Amino acid sequence: MTIRNTLRDHGQRYRPRIACLKKAEKVLLEMQDPKTGVKSQPQRLVITTIPHAITGEDILSWLADRFQIDTQEARNFGSMLVALGYIYPLQDHKRLVIKPDASLYRFQTPYFWPTQQWPVEDTDYAIYLAKRNIRKKGILELHEQEQYNRLHKWMNHKWDFIVMQAKEQYRAAKERKKPDRVVFDCQERAYWVVHRPPPGTVSAMDYGLDRRIDPNADEEKTPDFYGRIMIFTQQSIMRPRVKSSVSIGALVKYCATYNGHDPFLSKCLPSNPWITDDITYWNLNMPNVEIPTKMRVERWTFSFGELLSDPRGRDDFRLFLKKEFSGENLAFWEGCEDLKWGTAATMREKAEQIYKSFLARGAPRWINIDGKTMEITVNGLKHPHRYVLDAAQTHIYMLMKKDSFGRYLKSPVFKDTLKKAVCPEEHKYSDAQLEQNAKNRRPSLSPIVLRQQEKEHRAKMAANAPVDITQLCRYTTPVPHLAVYSGISDFPSANASPSLPFLAHSPACPSPISVALDSTSASERRAEAGEGGAAGIPEARAPAAGSVSRSCMPLSLRRLLKRGCTPSTMFASLSPKYHSAAGTSSRIQPISPDQPSQAPPRRIGNFFQIKVDIPPECRIYPIESEDEDEEENRAASRGGVGAKEIICPWESLTPQNGTG
Amino acid sequence: MPLVNNKVGDDCTVGTDKALADGEALLQSLIKVVACYRHLASCVGGCTDSLQLRDELRQTREKAQKLAASICHHLTSHLRDKSLPEEQRKEMELLWVAFSSSLELLHVDMCKVFSMGDIFSLANTATLVQTGLQGGGSEVAARALSLPDLNQALTPTPAAGLESQERSTMEQEISQIDHMIDDMEMKVNVLRWMVEPYGPQYADPLSSADSASLALLSVDEEQPAQQPLCQRKQIFAFLLLFTVVLLASTLSVCIVLFS
Repeated sequence: MTIRNTLRDHGQRYRPRIACLKKAEKVLLEMQDPKTGVKSQPQRLVITTIPHAITGEDILSWLADRFQIDTQEARNFGSMLVALGYIYPLQDHKRLVIKPDASLYRFQTPYFWPTQQWPVEDTDYAIYLAKRNIRKKGILELHEQEQYNRLHKWMNHKWDFIVMQAKEQYRAAKERKKPDRVVFDCQERAYWVVHRPPPGTVSAMDYGLDRRIDPNADEEKTPDFYGRIMIFTQQSIMRPRVKSSVSIGALVKYCATYNGHDPFLSKCLPSNPWITDDITYWNLNMPNVEIPTKMRVERWTFSFGELLSDPRGRDDFRLFLKKEFSGENLAFWEGCEDLKWGTAATMREKAEQIYKSFLARGAPRWINIDGKTMEITVNGLKHPHRYVLDAAQTHIYMLMKKDSFGRYLKSPVFKDTLKKAVCPEEHKYSDAQLEQNAKNRRPSLSPIVLRQQEKEHRAKMAANAPVDITQLCRYTTPVPHLAVYSGISDFPSANASPSLPFLAHSPACPSPISVALDSTSASERRAEAGEGGAAGIPEARAPAAGSVSRSCMPLSLRRLLKRGCTPSTMFASLSPKYHSAAGTSSRIQPISPDQPSQAPPRRIGNFFQIKVDIPPECRIYPIESEDEDEEENRAASRGGVGAKEIICPWESLTPQNGTG
Repeated sequence: MPLVNNKVGDDCTVGTDKALADGEALLQSLIKVVACYRHLASCVGGCTDSLQLRDELRQTREKAQKLAASICHHLTSHLRDKSLPEEQRKEMELLWVAFSSSLELLHVDMCKVFSMGDIFSLANTATLVQTGLQGGGSEVAARALSLPDLNQALTPTPAAGLESQERSTMEQEISQIDHMIDDMEMKVNVLRWMVEPYGPQYADPLSSADSASLALLSVDEEQPAQQPLCQRKQIFAFLLLFTVVLLASTLSVCIVLFS
């Protein structure tokens, strides 16, 4: 029996998790049968008697008989029926359980049965509370009082109606005979105990989100329906299968390993907060806690995935890797995760950043992956998407797992953590203390605050953590807003540079070296573009310079280009319009042989800051071209964002990327 | 109860005053009928469900619909009148909000009765839930229909025919109410958050005598198991005391007499 709501239903009114309601209704109809159901007796009150009262033990024996179950099971079932609201207790009406003694219960009238589709209206609740207040002032309990005030605030416009309706219902009830009045009052009270439970109790009516489709309704047999069934069966046939001995073995191993860590199956130290309302457990297991618990540390030893997925474990592992000077693997892995799960807007920049920091030849934190994976990755980076670094990430993950993880588990870092790990005592609360805890429940921090804290923490980590740069290279582009990786800044040294012929044309650029080196890279790119081979890219990258301000570079160079200067070829590869300027490459060539000799001396002793606080608007341009060229240049330069020294291969090869 | 504040016999407001008073009276009776309908609806499917109850439900429903139609017409015409002064408009809007809320309640109750009537057909009385009710809803129906006494002659028409006809009528009426609610929303734009009620947050208790007896009943039913026991214990103790006193007095009389 589901009561259809024919009022304008805005969808999403079905509650799938209470599909047991239909079944409970069937059972109830059987139970209340005067011949074959639970035997009823009259309830004697002082003034009158009311029929159809049933005792708890009768209910339980009937259930055990009907379904052939034992008493404990019958008790659970009976308590469920009471908790759902089909039977209500006459004494102790707030505790919705079946007591296996002579305490009395009664069947609820179908009007007050819980329904799948009918939401319980606040208006009705307000009317009920107003009625109770009319009957006897001050009878409302504290939580009911609070609810009443809240409803008064939110349904203020209806309040006259609610009071009027409450009075009318009260008067109409008075017309009835006394026993009926008592019964109706009990029914209504029981209904509201089920649907607006007092605080500290668990409601059986808790369901998740509302759904759009009624799960109890029969589905129409449309062609779509059959199409879905066909697809499902086809996929089932094609699914790969594993031998059951293998899969069962894996399941058994998993269960054996995690048995002690499951809060349902074994004790939760110190105590399960959901049961005892004591949040020590959560405080001890916070993501950034200093001293983890022994259980948590034990969990890290189960698998490498466990270690990485726990933030505290990851921190520990990071520390270990730092000591071993192989922190770039983890940093790369984290960068890939960041790319995978980040927002689409920042994806491109992140991919470039990761490439420049980790994958490019001569990158500061170069990771060691095999040639084939590198090739796949670089090819994929031409059209970067979320999963473009997946192959490399998997490779690094397996590397860490096979190599570093084992050493980590034997390392002094881990042993130290294990020694310091705390093992809390179990709480033993009495009933009174449990009630006290329930009263003292407080909401946790708002997620907005948590997110902010997390962001601050991450920024702090990024700012403070000195990165172990394996390769000394100044050729990294700072990305001010992607403060994921950081290095030690060495900004001023960039200014000490030899003067190059066309430097005079761009005096304002803070790192003239980058101009030169960029031109070199451009020339290399030209050379390689001339060859048309992707293999030239690694070479182009090596002598590439580190430009400190990336937006400065392309703009100044564009201006030089406009004046027909040599760096035009640099932009030849960046924007399609300037491919025609290839003719000027002749001037570049003489410089190129110099470059390899120039580059190495500068390599030594220069740690370049990957993250730099240069404002992107560091534009000190030659005055002439400032006005009309700005927008055009900006538009064109956006395509070559950050690709000044380590040229991302996709940008040099695919012209359409040049315009961003 | 929204109070009519302007007792000023202004010429232009006299008509609207009367209209307000009319509207209020109609609304009051609608609310009464809706409350009674709810009481009757709570009996459906229980052991007191009968043709009579269904009949009473039908009559109450029809009365409610008539009232609803007239209020709708009344309020719509007045609220669409642009020349209505501001205070009158406010009060009309109050009535409007109350009217739409009571219509919604009525609609929900009607839908519930409809589907419950579907499941709990009167033909099979064994499936009617034993809820502990004894009397029917006749008095409530009498109150709803404002009749001093309800003389219902049970019409012994074949159950099947009547029920199916009932169902179709009910479906129509439900959709009618649905349409009415829709029309109301379309025709008149009442901003619910601007409406302020006059009445107090807590309704005053209506009559203390009855409340005392009801309280007694509810207290009783809290410990009915202990109550007989207490009584028995008390009686026993009383008897014992009485016997002891009697014995003591007899003994003392004897002593006095024979000393």
